[in-house]
Amino acid sequence: MKTLFSILLTLAVFSSCTTLNIKNYYRKYHPTLDSMEMVFNQAYHKKPFSIQFSDRAFDRVSLELITDTLTYIYEYHVTEARMLDTLVKYGYDPIPIISLISSMQSMECTWINNLDYYTEDRKHSLTYISLWPRAFNSPFVNKKYYILTYFQQPQYFDNEGRLLVGRRLRRVRRINAEVFHRINDKVCYTISDQFR
Amino acid sequence: MRRPLLRLILLVLFGFTARHALAFSSPGDSILTPTPIHPVISTRDKALSLLDSVSLPDSSVWWPNVRKTWFMENIKANILHPLAIYQGSNTNFCGYAAMSYLPLQDDPVKYTRFMLDLYLNGKANWGKIRFTPSKEVRKAAGTLRFKGILDIRPGDQMWFLVLADHFRGYLNFFNRRFKPGAEDTFWAAVNYGKFNRMIREMAGYQVEASGSDIIRPHFKDLYTYLTSRLSTGVTYLYVNNVYLHKKSHDTRKFRNSFPTHFIVLTDIHRIPGEEDRDLVDIIYWDYGGRTLRQVEMRFLKKIIFGVSHCTPPPKPQNTGK
Repeated sequence: MKTLFSILLTLAVFSSCTTLNIKNYYRKYHPTLDSMEMVFNQAYHKKPFSIQFSDRAFDRVSLELITDTLTYIYEYHVTEARMLDTLVKYGYDPIPIISLISSMQSMECTWINNLDYYTEDRKHSLTYISLWPRAFNSPFVNKKYYILTYFQQPQYFDNEGRLLVGRRLRRVRRINAEVFHRINDKVCYTISDQFR
Repeated sequence: MRRPLLRLILLVLFGFTARHALAFSSPGDSILTPTPIHPVISTRDKALSLLDSVSLPDSSVWWPNVRKTWFMENIKANILHPLAIYQGSNTNFCGYAAMSYLPLQDDPVKYTRFMLDLYLNGKANWGKIRFTPSKEVRKAAGTLRFKGILDIRPGDQMWFLVLADHFRGYLNFFNRRFKPGAEDTFWAAVNYGKFNRMIREMAGYQVEASGSDIIRPHFKDLYTYLTSRLSTGVTYLYVNNVYLHKKSHDTRKFRNSFPTHFIVLTDIHRIPGEEDRDLVDIIYWDYGGRTLRQVEMRFLKKIIFGVSHCTPPPKPQNTGK
């Protein structure tokens, strides 16, 4: 019985540490993460795109280039020259995108994208950043992606720090079927088994 | 998709019937006598005129959570931009959205009339099919949230919920009645046989299907096969979405073994200079938009569980009597 209790206690400690870690991780690296978000947001609003790393080694990058008629998906090795040619061909400024890819590699970020969401019939958008840091991989935790959402306006939260739909609508908001928690007024996090 | 074990049991019980070439006509016929891929049965202008001519009450007793203004805007958007119909994030409505690709383009008047009847009377006929949605479904339409733009598309919520409520397959066996949140569960799931049935009954197309819910079909030369299908009809692919729209890097999960998504393949061509890698460009429609993607043919073979080749029925001959 004591052994079982010890195991459960250890599991609980590991889980809570992981939850704490994402907040600590954000506090430690927020200049880089916030800068990534800003660069992405500015570049996205000039011409929409998303970036995904498709392997654990963060060597293969998949670009989704979004135009009015078609979304183009191309996958490259990060050092491939063709990537630059593609960005230029489709009218993207390659400098912020290449810089983002480099930052994503260093932060072990697997996906960055813009998502639309609706509050009381009004459209808003947020930046969705999925982190996959090796440091957080624990054998006791199933869910493995650490997701940050950057909102453009301050958000509302309940007493437990869960993201709410709005000030009047006090329902818990779900994004990609996940409940998010407060880091600060505009930044939330969740832990998920899917990066998008 | 949830409950993978349950799904396996169901598949073993009911799904071990690989459907190969459920043709209504011999495959060679359509190649010899090409038919227009999208027969224009009615025009967008006529559908818009019909929509403008009808005076709807501000609220419907049948659909308490559907607001007229948003409903009308939604139907108008679907008439003008039929390919923008979006099933919502994290729902199981993709089969219904993929099916809608045909009637929304071919016969917008029929679609508009159906939706107006549904709004006014709580039930409607689509040809010979009578749709009588359950009270739970009528109450839920307009309340689905956190699904992206579907949040503000009450007409699409009605359309998907009504279709899911009416067309039932073996995957829906244990989820017979709608409950809040059922749009994300097996209640809304579409198996391959049900999908082909919906195409036949709703769009009136003849369907030549190869594939199944668990066994991948074998094609001697997939590239040539798909190219020939594209030139003679609308081609749906039943694919494993875990690989196509990658959401996790974990390749060990049980759900990675099954198809869960329907896409419309609109083009495929080899990339010059990449013959050694057997690299092709595919263009497909899903999630309310078209995508061009470079893939290797072996990747395509790995993800395809079904190919449905859909051709419009031959026009009745005018005998002059």
